[in-house]
Amino acid sequence: MNPFTERYKEMGEEIEFIKLRKAIRVNTKKISPEKLQERLEKKHIEMERIPFVKNGFWVKAKFNLVSTPEYLLGLFYFQEAAAQIPVEVLNPKNLTLDCCAAPGGKTTQIAEYAPVIAVESNRERFVALENNIERLGLRNCIAYLMDLREVDKRFSSILLDAPCSGNYMLEDHWMQKNSLKRINERAEKQKELIAHALSLLEKDGIIVYSTCSIEPEENEFVIQFALDHFPVKVEKINCIGDPGLTKIFGKKLDPSIAHCRRLWPHKTKTIGFFIARLKKC
Amino acid sequence: MLEDFTAKFTQEKISFKKIGNKFFLEDKELEKAKLKQKEKYFGIYVGEEQEGNFIPSFVFLEWLAERSTEKIFVKDIGEIDFLYGKTLRSRHIDHVEGEIKIGFLKLVQNMYDENLGYGKITGDFAKTEQVLKPKVDRGLFLKREKKLKREEEKA
Repeated sequence: MNPFTERYKEMGEEIEFIKLRKAIRVNTKKISPEKLQERLEKKHIEMERIPFVKNGFWVKAKFNLVSTPEYLLGLFYFQEAAAQIPVEVLNPKNLTLDCCAAPGGKTTQIAEYAPVIAVESNRERFVALENNIERLGLRNCIAYLMDLREVDKRFSSILLDAPCSGNYMLEDHWMQKNSLKRINERAEKQKELIAHALSLLEKDGIIVYSTCSIEPEENEFVIQFALDHFPVKVEKINCIGDPGLTKIFGKKLDPSIAHCRRLWPHKTKTIGFFIARLKKC
Repeated sequence: MLEDFTAKFTQEKISFKKIGNKFFLEDKELEKAKLKQKEKYFGIYVGEEQEGNFIPSFVFLEWLAERSTEKIFVKDIGEIDFLYGKTLRSRHIDHVEGEIKIGFLKLVQNMYDENLGYGKITGDFAKTEQVLKPKVDRGLFLKREKKLKREEEKA
């Protein structure tokens, strides 16, 4: 048995591979979900509201949706259902920092509600970010090509969708390609990122930390690190998924980590995901 | 260059700033939100300079369409053809706002008044079949995305 499958068993889960459904998020800066549904259904695209997000649909068509005028007009963005949750959990109302912004799915989602400072360190990925901001016609984004660690302004609202090792639903042979060593290396980087992001967070400010990994080292352990080193508390969130793990691999974590949410693909029918909402005290 | 292009669609005066070879609209409120480092993208992207020519962005064309009457409205069939870079024919056109004169630039709108790009009037609407040649169309996003994908695969 693969070591990852063993680990998931230890977390109490018998994983299974599922077929993911294609999901879109409506750009409400340009059109309402109802109107977009009407337009796409006229073109024989099957649309089904995703029940656990505000503006998402599962879509099915006999042709590629990127060739539709609606896509080119920026009326929607292809975004996996789980990936639409973090911004809803953050609920941005004022200037928000998006820490690892490319390709821009979450940046453009935040920009529907509040101005965004988007930071991305990878030059190629930055081009995708610019392209998506332009396609969606957003007018309140400022984007920087630089490392998050160079930012020194304070924010009351931060999204840290951290680079992670991904999960077995995102890539063929993910379990064969990954190792615990790689997971731990990622986790160290994530701790660095959350430490810097938290240093930029104002008192009473909110940070949402998310990854598309289901490995505790990249998720619950990172949140435990934040609780150990910063004046923060984990807030309850209302979204799909299981509670964060508080006892795992012989470690006992802070009970409040149960407020986090982990999405197991075989339960939520989405990619694997983890979301935490922290408030600075 | 940029001012000349804007003046073809609106009398509104714009203030812009240049970042690299790209232009962005000035925005005092958004300016307050900036970091101390130099940004690469700021608010409303106006367009860029390429070999001495001004290439407007799609956000800017949308911004202009909100202010301009220099528009040509196309039917569904015209919408698809225009997005594929084809010259518009008179049967594609639903109606036109503003003056119709060969050589004039027009914002190209679909029937929802959404901007698809812009083009140049090339023929007399009453006499010729081919009437508007695309200058820039939103099909460009597909080309850009394909290019990005190729580069990603290479990397």
